[in-house]
Amino acid sequence: MRILILSLTFALTTAAFAAPKAKKEKQPPGPGIAPFFTVTPVLTPPLVDPQVGGMDVTADGRLVVAFHRGEVGIYTPKTQDWKIFAQGLHEPLGVLVEKDGSILVMQRPELTRLRDTTGAGVADSYETVWDGFGMSGNYHEFAFGPVRGPNGKLYVTLNLASNGGSIREEIRGEWSPIGVPREKFYTDWKNARGSVGRMYSRVAWRGWVMEVDPATGIAAPFASGMRSPDGINFDSQGNLLVSDNQGDWRGTCELFIVKRGGFYGHPASLVWRKDWDGTEPLKVPVARLDELRTPAAIWFPYGSYANSVTQMLTIPKTPAWGPFGGQMLIGEMNAAKIFRMLPEEVDGVWQGATVALMDSPEIKRGLHRFAFIGDTLYAGRTHLSWAGGEGISAIKPTGRIPFDPLTMRVTPKGFRFEFTEALDPGAGDPALWSARRYAYAYHPTYGSPEINKADVRPVSVKLSADRKTAEVELSAMTVDSIYDFDLAKIKSATGAGPLNPHIAYTLRRVPKK
Amino acid sequence: MPTHLFFHRLSVVSLAIAFSCGTVFADAPKPLAKKPLAVTIEMRDGLRFEPPRFEAKPGDEIVVTLENADSTHLPHNFLVVQPGKREAVVQQATELGEKGQARDFIPDNPAILVHSAMLNPEGTNTVRFRLPDAAGVYPYVCTMPGHGMVMYGAIYSGVNMPPLNKDPNIPQQAVAMALAGGGQRPFVQRMFMPDAGPAAIAVALPGTQNFCWDAGECRLRYAWSGPFIDASAHWRSNGSSLATLGGEPWWKAEKGAFPLKVGASGKVKFLGYKLEAGVPEFHYRVGDTEVFEKITAAPNDAGLVSRFRIPKAAGTVEFAVAPGNAQWSSPAGAMNGGVLKLTGAQAAEFTITATAPGAGHHEHH
Repeated sequence: MRILILSLTFALTTAAFAAPKAKKEKQPPGPGIAPFFTVTPVLTPPLVDPQVGGMDVTADGRLVVAFHRGEVGIYTPKTQDWKIFAQGLHEPLGVLVEKDGSILVMQRPELTRLRDTTGAGVADSYETVWDGFGMSGNYHEFAFGPVRGPNGKLYVTLNLASNGGSIREEIRGEWSPIGVPREKFYTDWKNARGSVGRMYSRVAWRGWVMEVDPATGIAAPFASGMRSPDGINFDSQGNLLVSDNQGDWRGTCELFIVKRGGFYGHPASLVWRKDWDGTEPLKVPVARLDELRTPAAIWFPYGSYANSVTQMLTIPKTPAWGPFGGQMLIGEMNAAKIFRMLPEEVDGVWQGATVALMDSPEIKRGLHRFAFIGDTLYAGRTHLSWAGGEGISAIKPTGRIPFDPLTMRVTPKGFRFEFTEALDPGAGDPALWSARRYAYAYHPTYGSPEINKADVRPVSVKLSADRKTAEVELSAMTVDSIYDFDLAKIKSATGAGPLNPHIAYTLRRVPKK
Repeated sequence: MPTHLFFHRLSVVSLAIAFSCGTVFADAPKPLAKKPLAVTIEMRDGLRFEPPRFEAKPGDEIVVTLENADSTHLPHNFLVVQPGKREAVVQQATELGEKGQARDFIPDNPAILVHSAMLNPEGTNTVRFRLPDAAGVYPYVCTMPGHGMVMYGAIYSGVNMPPLNKDPNIPQQAVAMALAGGGQRPFVQRMFMPDAGPAAIAVALPGTQNFCWDAGECRLRYAWSGPFIDASAHWRSNGSSLATLGGEPWWKAEKGAFPLKVGASGKVKFLGYKLEAGVPEFHYRVGDTEVFEKITAAPNDAGLVSRFRIPKAAGTVEFAVAPGNAQWSSPAGAMNGGVLKLTGAQAAEFTITATAPGAGHHEHH
């Protein structure tokens, strides 16, 4: 299968898929979330641009929000009051509250610790924790995180530069000599642009996940191959998850389970590997890169599910969140959707499904950053110059759980679906279960069409005694594919259809038993 | 960040697609000689239009896509009126009183070139019109009760756009939203600045002085007096634009010249800053030596005073000034060939004053 994808990759590179980004595969708007969730706007501070770059919660249950123009505000839900804690940061895209109450902010130029040393309730100390990464001045060199690992270390991700723009004459840090000469970027950009790569990493650690010691500020490279890794977080088991956005070398938006030393597909970052032989990454054969990389655990079907995925966060195990507690959600910029992710490890390989948690205009587009205070999910939006929104919503579960697929796991012969409610006895009819199988190409081109497409019809469906679980058996299992199920025809025992009937499993490995 | 939708929501672009989005026009559009100017305008929190102004040419066809992005959930409308008629139209709309609601607070007035329907929160609307052939500054305004006196903007049609902070045709708060810190002084804003490295810090001091300090190189890069920085283009887009200064620098450092010689010197490392009454004291290391640098306004706003603290200076410390147009002086010692030489004890705390050209003379004579 991998070989097949590769041969197609070569074909596609030269094919005319000039504008996959313009592809529209919008589903009709979701059925609404009113019985299950309430959505209330949170008024943002006056004269603060209400685009949200980061969110976290203090020990005493206040919401910490980093805004687009550099303010860090602290919101007390009880009184609905804002306090501006810090100002003047440069495009902060992540905040993390520390044990002693200080606040870490990842801003464009550095990881900064904000502290109130005078007791005035306002940060007076802006301490640089780590700025040992390069800045070329390119607009796309965003910085995301930090998140805290089980080992107490901090993890951040550094965006690649985009050939939508050049670099500045003055840069910060070392310049990689691998590739188009530096001065061409500002003396001959028109001609250089086509040769630098769609996204490039010519200053240090662009496209890397970095590990930073919060006490010493000493940083070490952790993993490479990222493109535009807006989402970074740990799951409840201590796995580091990073989400990345569709583009060059990313056929669609992807979720990675990131391990130390791993390479996750975008080659630009390879120039900063200590053992790199100096080859321009764009000149390394795709097959070689494909061998080096760890593929995504989850592909988010492009357009029909998501266009730009964002932050992930574990749903709390509270009664109101019911069976969703403990699962992880992930946001989306271009559509008013929040997804659940259901990753699982099969023989050491990560893969899994994704399904909408909410799909409703009520939650609006641009869902970028999340935090839970008790049951309430605070959702902050942004757009910059892309699709999205702004402002903050407080989303509360009503305690009523929708009828939906709860989990989807791979079996040796198909998939096991667990639902939030018992199914109608007739749901065992295989004719009601349909899926599409397809894949995305790994190639330098921006995005990918769906390739290797096939319709999938189960050969059998067996319901469990309580009818909450369905074993769906397929005639064949093709790895490195998405199995995108449409469960609209599956009814619950009370006759309801799923609130979110589309669930897509990225299959990498079929278990033996 | 998403990277694959290049729709510049706030920039002005030619975009034929605007025609295909289902808007119903009163008249069937005639085939046009050129594409219409497509503009996206958002109604934002705090009764303002974003952007607060844009440029066009007389006779231009304009398609404005409106989006009510006001998270305080106020309804808004959008009218374009003849030059100088904004206040009269607003007054007339206010006088509609209770009758206004039914007509979206749009009065009858021949000065109105085009208007939208009322946009509820999250609402979108598209209006299309042709600018008159007469050059001028055509206001746009929301005439919902209480909005019109502050919620307006300006189309510069064949008229040069003045600097934002000197534009009489846009509301004060639009200027405040464009200026980093909204006019607060002191204020610190990290930003992409011209003539500096990408990790730059802009500082507005109390009074009129401003400076750019480079956190990559740990040194002052330039100073100017007057308004602070306009970073609206940077913030409005994805961050590719540099901020513009509210005045011409009266002094600039030389490129690549680090002024401080301390101990064995070595690489600089930025360690952050502490705000004292809002003014930052920068903290960095030169080699192994810690340095604190606080820059304030000189008496009578005549320039800048840099106070250095080097608590553990081993041996002599030298500070080389880059004179430019400024005059440099220090009570700590004599300058020889533009170099201030200090003993380790003197370096524990010393100041250097840079006086802006012209400014110092008034003070002393």
